[in-house]
Amino acid sequence: MQFTFDQRHEDFRQEVRSFITEHITPELQQRTREHGYFGNKEDMIGWLKLLNSKGWGVPSWPVEHGGCDWTPLQHYIFSEEHTRADAPGLPFGLYHMIGPVIYKYASQALQDKLLGPMREGDITFAQGFSEPGSGSDLAALSTQAVREGDEYIVNGQKIWTSGAFESEWLFCLVKTDTSVKPQRGISFLVFPLDSEGVTIRQIPQIDGDAHLCEVFMQDVRVPADNLVGEEGMGWTYAKSLLDGERTGSAYIFWSKRELAKAREIARKEMVNGTALIDMPAYRHRFARLEAQLTALEFSVLRVLADEDFKYPISTIASSLKLRGSKLQQMVTQLLMDCLGAKGLRQIPREEYGAIAAANDPLWPDHMLGATPNALIMRAATIYGGARQIQKTIVAKSAFHL
Amino acid sequence: MDFNFNEEQSLLLDGAERFIRESYSLEQRRHLAASDEGFSRDNWKLFAELGWLALVLPEDADGLNCSLIEVTALMTALGRGPLLEPYVSTAILSAHLIDKAGDAAMRQSVLPAIGAGEIIAAFAHDEDNGAGLGNEKLSTKAEKSDGGYRLTGRKTMALGGASADKFIISAMLDGKVALFLADRNMAGLRVTPYPLIDHSRAADISFDDMALPVEALLGAGDDNGAIISEALDRATYAYLAEAVGCMESCLEVCSDYLKTRHQFKQPLGNFQALQHIMADMFVEAQEARSMLYFLLSRMDGDADERRKAISLAKIAIGEGSFFVAAQSIQLHGGYGVTDEYVVSHYYRRLMTIKKLFGDVEHHLDQLPLAE
Repeated sequence: MQFTFDQRHEDFRQEVRSFITEHITPELQQRTREHGYFGNKEDMIGWLKLLNSKGWGVPSWPVEHGGCDWTPLQHYIFSEEHTRADAPGLPFGLYHMIGPVIYKYASQALQDKLLGPMREGDITFAQGFSEPGSGSDLAALSTQAVREGDEYIVNGQKIWTSGAFESEWLFCLVKTDTSVKPQRGISFLVFPLDSEGVTIRQIPQIDGDAHLCEVFMQDVRVPADNLVGEEGMGWTYAKSLLDGERTGSAYIFWSKRELAKAREIARKEMVNGTALIDMPAYRHRFARLEAQLTALEFSVLRVLADEDFKYPISTIASSLKLRGSKLQQMVTQLLMDCLGAKGLRQIPREEYGAIAAANDPLWPDHMLGATPNALIMRAATIYGGARQIQKTIVAKSAFHL
Repeated sequence: MDFNFNEEQSLLLDGAERFIRESYSLEQRRHLAASDEGFSRDNWKLFAELGWLALVLPEDADGLNCSLIEVTALMTALGRGPLLEPYVSTAILSAHLIDKAGDAAMRQSVLPAIGAGEIIAAFAHDEDNGAGLGNEKLSTKAEKSDGGYRLTGRKTMALGGASADKFIISAMLDGKVALFLADRNMAGLRVTPYPLIDHSRAADISFDDMALPVEALLGAGDDNGAIISEALDRATYAYLAEAVGCMESCLEVCSDYLKTRHQFKQPLGNFQALQHIMADMFVEAQEARSMLYFLLSRMDGDADERRKAISLAKIAIGEGSFFVAAQSIQLHGGYGVTDEYVVSHYYRRLMTIKKLFGDVEHHLDQLPLAE
């Protein structure tokens, strides 16, 4: 047993930290803090291009596709340093998820067409999995793709398509065969969102933003060459994409950063002249959260350092997701609670700049983005496999119940 | 970074698990709990033969000089009993105090005897008004006298004290926290043993103007606050490792039970409400072991860092273990609250560990204000 990073990893941490320090600006950091969970697309693409100049744009991809041959702990350090510095994240989830599907399963022609622009941030993808009638029960999806000559005609509707309005392409699960078992009749298509017949509606959210979308497809003609891999294998590809996610859903860096931000706020915000951080009720919430986050951080490290677990890795991954999503909610809620009644004011994002510039002690800039963050985090225990689905997975995979 | 035990550590773990399988069936445990001393002297001899009692003792005291990693392997396995023998209070807590505070003569006379299983020792530190959690407020007093010291005070909850041959007693001497070693049969020392809810045994001791020889003082009368704090933290660590093993055992016992117990013409495990309880328990057990490893990573460093890590771990494992233990009873229905099902033993042991050396509330208050 050995719980420290070796010199090679410490050196790498310094290298990442120096790179970020060299390129980050206060404005970029402020926007990253305010934008919270979904991030700011423009900043993320700008940052991606910077990282590309260093060869770090798509680190998790294989070297032949521009990736870095990093250890799991290097990836961990890379993300941790970014989050700690309030640097824009990569459109990481998508690069992490759709990238592998393309380079593992897509035809050479499709790879040649997409991987380059994806690396450059010129093509970003939205994820078309869920439908109004198929949420947790993903295999029940009904969007149809019918083959006509060398095209598929796609009809149907996707929902919770995060960022579709600002993405170039959609990766999409469609039904190509209704005569077989649901899982066997699903295929994986990719196509541009400006294709004829595609309509996007941004859904107004609980936090005042509208990042989640509905995508309607009416007689959309998709070249058959845009089929990823083989027909009927979409379910398998999608599953491999989701299974690739082992520790990311713990959101450990993000929650740690949010807790640090909350602590700063609790030092400034007062009730009757007493800083919140000096009030036992708040202190104890901080202490509990710090304890749970510390444990979760080590849970993540145990996976990354390849501990020999007694239970399947899928059980461990679901366990990380269960605890991680709960802590995301608890941390963002604590941060909002530290603002007291101030946290209730609804502030459109367009007004953030003016409020920050006014420097009014009644409306300090540390409140910007806090409440929206806490509100949208209710989704953390819903997306990526709802909490109850994860619990069933744990019970079945760990205990064969 | 490496979270796996090496081969020797794995052997230690396997050996301890085998011991629990062979010697700690519920029937055997209940039998031991009801015996005179509440544990087995034969087991104690075996622990000496296996080297467990000398595990962390230094080489110059015939010890194996092992680290807390080996303690982790051993205690997570023994948590499956859970163990009744006063192992931690003797071989981890008392041994550390003698090792670090005792002079050469005392170390040579006591430590090898602990390793050989000849001596059971207990630390008599806690007092009325919660003194002992912070050792600066002790009311037990020691004064120099002709040919030695005279001690007056009362100590409570000396773990393993019921069978202890020797007590290490903390007392204020010239404004400093001093430690004394007293034989159980020392004139003027009164021992009142009692069982705890988990069937382990502790004792109160009291002494009024008890005379101790010069050699009874550990060290040269320096302040021992830092050594005591370190010894208590190491004992806390060992108990938390035991708690993790105990929690993991709860998972196995409960999942077996859900597969065998039938209601409504099907196994209980078919019911999603109960599956989800098991999933929640799994997460808590997983996080508890992670927390244990975090604490392990902080045990040999800076004292403030260690103290903070202890508090974080006591909070997280304390609450997690209570959840697992309480749900284990719930999953067993009425049987869970009987002495005839092991989950009630796990519950009481985990409750005991949670409360030793400061409960969750104490440690919530201990954490530094600002970081």
